[in-house]
Amino acid sequence: MKNIKKALFLAVLGAGLMAPVQAEEVHMIMCGGEIRDADKAVIAAFEASHAGVTVNAEAVPWGTCQDKSMTLAAAGDPVGLAYIGSRTLKQLGRSGLILPVEISEEKQALYQPGILNTVSDGGQFWGFPHAFSTKALFINCGLVEEAGEACVAPRTWTGLYNMAKAVNDNTSAAGIGITGKDFDNTMHQFLNYLYSNGGSVSDAATGEITFNSPETVETLEFYGKLAGVAQEGPMGYERSQLTQLYNDGQIGMYINGPWGAGQHNDNIAEIVVPIPAGPSGESGTLLITDSVAVFKGSANEALAMELADALTSGEAQYDLDMSWGLTPILQYDKMRDDVYYTTDYWQTFVAPIGSGGPEPMFEDFKALQMGINSAIQGMILGEGSAADLVAEAAETLAEGL
Amino acid sequence: MSDLLQMLKPKTKAQSTTLFAWALIAPAAIYMFLIVVWPLVETFRLSFTNSNLGTLIEGADYIGWANYEKALGGRKFPAIVNRTFYWMFLSVSLKIILGLIGATLLASNIRARGIIRALVMPPWIIPIAIGCFGWLWLYNGHFGLLSNFAEMVGITDGPFSFLGYKKSAFYSAVVTDVWIGTPMVTLFFLAAMQGVPRDLYEAAYVDGASRWYRFRRITMPQIMPTVVTMALLSAIWTFNSFEIIWILTEGGPRGATTTLIIDTFKTAIFSYKFGAGATRAVLVVLILGVFSIIYLTVLGRLSRKYGYLGVQK
Repeated sequence: MKNIKKALFLAVLGAGLMAPVQAEEVHMIMCGGEIRDADKAVIAAFEASHAGVTVNAEAVPWGTCQDKSMTLAAAGDPVGLAYIGSRTLKQLGRSGLILPVEISEEKQALYQPGILNTVSDGGQFWGFPHAFSTKALFINCGLVEEAGEACVAPRTWTGLYNMAKAVNDNTSAAGIGITGKDFDNTMHQFLNYLYSNGGSVSDAATGEITFNSPETVETLEFYGKLAGVAQEGPMGYERSQLTQLYNDGQIGMYINGPWGAGQHNDNIAEIVVPIPAGPSGESGTLLITDSVAVFKGSANEALAMELADALTSGEAQYDLDMSWGLTPILQYDKMRDDVYYTTDYWQTFVAPIGSGGPEPMFEDFKALQMGINSAIQGMILGEGSAADLVAEAAETLAEGL
Repeated sequence: MSDLLQMLKPKTKAQSTTLFAWALIAPAAIYMFLIVVWPLVETFRLSFTNSNLGTLIEGADYIGWANYEKALGGRKFPAIVNRTFYWMFLSVSLKIILGLIGATLLASNIRARGIIRALVMPPWIIPIAIGCFGWLWLYNGHFGLLSNFAEMVGITDGPFSFLGYKKSAFYSAVVTDVWIGTPMVTLFFLAAMQGVPRDLYEAAYVDGASRWYRFRRITMPQIMPTVVTMALLSAIWTFNSFEIIWILTEGGPRGATTTLIIDTFKTAIFSYKFGAGATRAVLVVLILGVFSIIYLTVLGRLSRKYGYLGVQK
């Protein structure tokens, strides 16, 4: 009996001593459907350096990921951290569902111009930027030459339209691929044209909606004109489906990110050029980032914050950008001598960073998407003048600001 | 305490029986209260608040009828209601007609009847999402079977994206809904047809009644209770049909396939406006409730007047 008591005492004592190193789990959601090797390496190192801590990294496809993260938080069961689109940060931050993050001045100085604007609201940062993209125009030279045109970069919208029309009229392919589906990248495609025509969605300083402008009307009209030489039924397509059409030789050109080259068939002779300038602007691009946000109220906020910082720092971030084929989010040339983005191909994506426009931050970011997409679809369907459709969209945007 | 127990104790056998009955009903009643009544009451309460993602921490405010005024006063709402009823009417009508035709064929004395009956089932058996993804491919303009077939036989002169236009997207969604919903209707009608006494047909046959006459005067009146029930159930299910439209079009293009239930989801879940979404959910309940009452009342009157529809007493 005495031995049993002794054993029980030791067991209780042992349990007490073990408590501080009891297993802690950090739940992480990774939008995109996969966890990249570069992130896996950081997670493994993090677990190794924190005894008793495990990271439950869950990969969720984009279509449902952000909603899942937000719904879990709304239901009072937040994840520790999540890799999500930066456009959601304003809504999450203002709803008190995520924590503001501290980004060291040293790290801030490394970011490419404009990146931190995509995660800032009310003077605070609401996530660590983790993936960045700019866009360019991919042209299938085989089809352009088959149409009797020289495969050179169009500099203006007129040149772009003429080239697309030539492909459309003289080959079995459509001139250009454009998106029109109820999807975020329909809005993104449009914003590439808008920023190449001197337009904007909102004033970053005052928050005022600036969407209803002659530049936007002009851009929408051009998008509608492009629909005439685009693939049949643009409203059935989002960007990844355009990649399929491009690989199948069914469209002459389309806009995509730097990962595009890796997705395209090797037998396509292509050139990658800056997005042509509209009549009222200069060649531009949309700057999109995805970020790692730390949710408020999870069991391990401090650990989640530490992991988020580690995932988005220095060499780990470089490995991710290089292996994934992303536009460099940090100015790596300040960190190291050899960088992956020195080729002409990469310069097409790096050069416009300074003149690019951000993905606007709206409190109701779904209203932003629905408002702009509705105007695009209305234009393609011919359901009103560009001016009316833009005015209608601007009203929707004002509600969602 | 003992006084209270004494008071509750049944004094007669009838009281005891009643109490026992209540005890038996109680678990089911509590269960129903928890999964039906309470969420309904909570949805109703939520519909009078400004609940959204931003109010989760601080709590939502009571805003009276504001959500209802905004929903009913919105320029898109009447169009959504009309579209929902049109969607329901078209889809249910097609399911009933095709179900009747299918059940009649399956009830007839044909070879390999068992196999054919089994082949009717797959659209209903396979998960809706999988079926819809199949249709998504069929409707694709460049890679889809339907577009290529239409081009091959000369109906179209190039690819046609069925989900890329307002009208074609709407009717494509109807076709998919009918494809999924018809087998169940067919099987219910078939079961009802098999319950019709054979001697009625034999007597009519002896009297020289044609096939069409026998169908109209014997089969239809006999299976009419099943038709009425299935039509009502199918109407409610179709009215609330969500997955098919969401997977195919997400309510687009430009709202062409947005029905009330899609609008409710878009508002409550997609845009995190829980209060405004709850308002739409309450409106759906009210509209369906009124529709069901009118439907059953009209059918009841017709039945009393004509027996079952079409058979004059």
